[in-house]
Amino acid sequence: MAMKKIIIALILVAAAFGPIMTPCRAAEETKAEKRQMIRLGAKLWPVYCNQCHNARPGSEFAPYQWDQVMMHMRALPNLPAQDARAILEYLKDGRD
Amino acid sequence: MVGKLVGRGLLFAALILVVPVSSWSADSDSASNLREIKREIRELAADRERAQEKIERLEKRVEQLEGENAQIKATNAQIKTETVQTTEQVKTLSQAVELGPSPDGMAKAFKGYLGSHTFTLTGSAGMDFIADQQNGALAGLPHQTQNSFFFDWEPMMLYRPNDWMLFEGVLGAAFGSTGTGVDLSSALIYLFPNDYATIVGGLFDLPFGDWYEDQSPMWVNKFVSAPLPYAVEPVVPPAELGIELRNGMQWGSVGQDLDYTVYLGQGPGYSANVPGAAATSPVAIASKQTNGKSVGGRFRLYPLPIDANLGRLEVGVSSYDGKWLDGKWLTSWGADFNYLLGNLQARGEWVQSYRQMPAPYKQDNRQGWYLQLGYMLGDLNLPGVPDEINNYVHRLQPLVRYSGVNQHYVDTDDIVAATGLGQGGIQMGLIPDFGLSNSPALYAPHSREVAFGLDYWIAPSIVWQNEFDLELPRAGGTFINGAGMTSPAGSIPNDKAFLSQFTIGF
Repeated sequence: MAMKKIIIALILVAAAFGPIMTPCRAAEETKAEKRQMIRLGAKLWPVYCNQCHNARPGSEFAPYQWDQVMMHMRALPNLPAQDARAILEYLKDGRD
Repeated sequence: MVGKLVGRGLLFAALILVVPVSSWSADSDSASNLREIKREIRELAADRERAQEKIERLEKRVEQLEGENAQIKATNAQIKTETVQTTEQVKTLSQAVELGPSPDGMAKAFKGYLGSHTFTLTGSAGMDFIADQQNGALAGLPHQTQNSFFFDWEPMMLYRPNDWMLFEGVLGAAFGSTGTGVDLSSALIYLFPNDYATIVGGLFDLPFGDWYEDQSPMWVNKFVSAPLPYAVEPVVPPAELGIELRNGMQWGSVGQDLDYTVYLGQGPGYSANVPGAAATSPVAIASKQTNGKSVGGRFRLYPLPIDANLGRLEVGVSSYDGKWLDGKWLTSWGADFNYLLGNLQARGEWVQSYRQMPAPYKQDNRQGWYLQLGYMLGDLNLPGVPDEINNYVHRLQPLVRYSGVNQHYVDTDDIVAATGLGQGGIQMGLIPDFGLSNSPALYAPHSREVAFGLDYWIAPSIVWQNEFDLELPRAGGTFINGAGMTSPAGSIPNDKAFLSQFTIGF
């Protein structure tokens, strides 16, 4: 009985935070918005990454791999979604 | 009548004969000439007509050629224009080729080529050398100063079928104290249904404090070994099998965030039903050790805005509660902080747990803590020292950590059959393992350790770590075995250990 209550509570919490199973794709971005995200990512990258480990340059992974790595890195430290996207854009952009 | 006719014929013949011959012959030439002239005129007229036709044909041909010529001229002009344009395009393309494709363009092309299902094989690897000066053993256990090499490889596979799902699997493949062995460190499915929730299911590191989830990987941990509350006698279990709901959000300016994790797990498990037994979660499905699942939560707050340039401060609290052994309860909680300011990093945790025990034991209480400081010498320029030397100095990070555990009992069966840190396998006695000196002093009921570290960062993800441990256990406490036989722990000798590790992580 207690277990059912816990499961129901978890579902309610999840439902309360937004529509379930709506893919969290970023809206179609303009170039200006993208540049703004990259600037934000550049600001967050050294702070958020260094909190646990040394911040890595974007050149360490291909952009498609950053898509995967950032999913892992968004989940473990519970990064706000928009901040995770900004860091991802920065890492993908700064590969030189 | 016939005579008349004959007469007339003769008369006509005579007349013909009397006509002058010359005059008759002149008239004949003139007619012939006339005919000739007429014939020539006709021929000339015909020739003229043919010439006229030919002229018309030639005129038409000339017109056609002139048209074609004009067309050729126009085509030629067009070709010239196109040649100029093509030359410009070739120049532009050459420049573009020299510059190489843009990251965006390349990414799109590559993504299109790869398809939507992608995976990456990454992970970490490390090699250890561990020397442990064991001054004295625990009762009934032999001791021997050890020095050994170890190797650990932990491949991590990330599989991303779409933009809201990720599978992650980590294997631990080690050459440790018992030879080679492989175990499953974690296997998770992440779901990102929206910006406000992340759902995780599978075998996961316990979201309790920062250690298990964030700091335990060999390439993240600044030291070679784990702090005592998460080492051989962990205060809370290391992992769970279940589901998590988690996310973070910004509550103020940029950098002012909070995050939460709540989870439901298979439940805590222990190596024996005696106090001081090692936590072994997650419980195997077949073990039937628990009558109830576990539930836990973690909450972190980041109060400082990034633009304030005051550094990054994290404060967190954690809890983990559940049932074990036919409904007996376990409750635990912890508080932690992490502060990063430039080259300085400080972190610390306090962890505490209470476990209800079957008779005749009272509850099993454990407390543990650690405080860690590190400073990257990135800005230190030694005076009078060449730049080349200073460049080496900039890569150094000195560290110090103080950690301890307090508990009433330690199960000696856990020492004989200790489970290495994430390695699995059985250790016979006090033999080091990857990332673990396995000093007898670590098993003291009141263990204390001061660890000094010096890391040399070859690259952001490649490090050579050196650690010197002073084991300073306090006296007191009780040893117990799985059958419940007890003996006082008494005074346990101090130990020293040196650990050196080369590691690379993703």
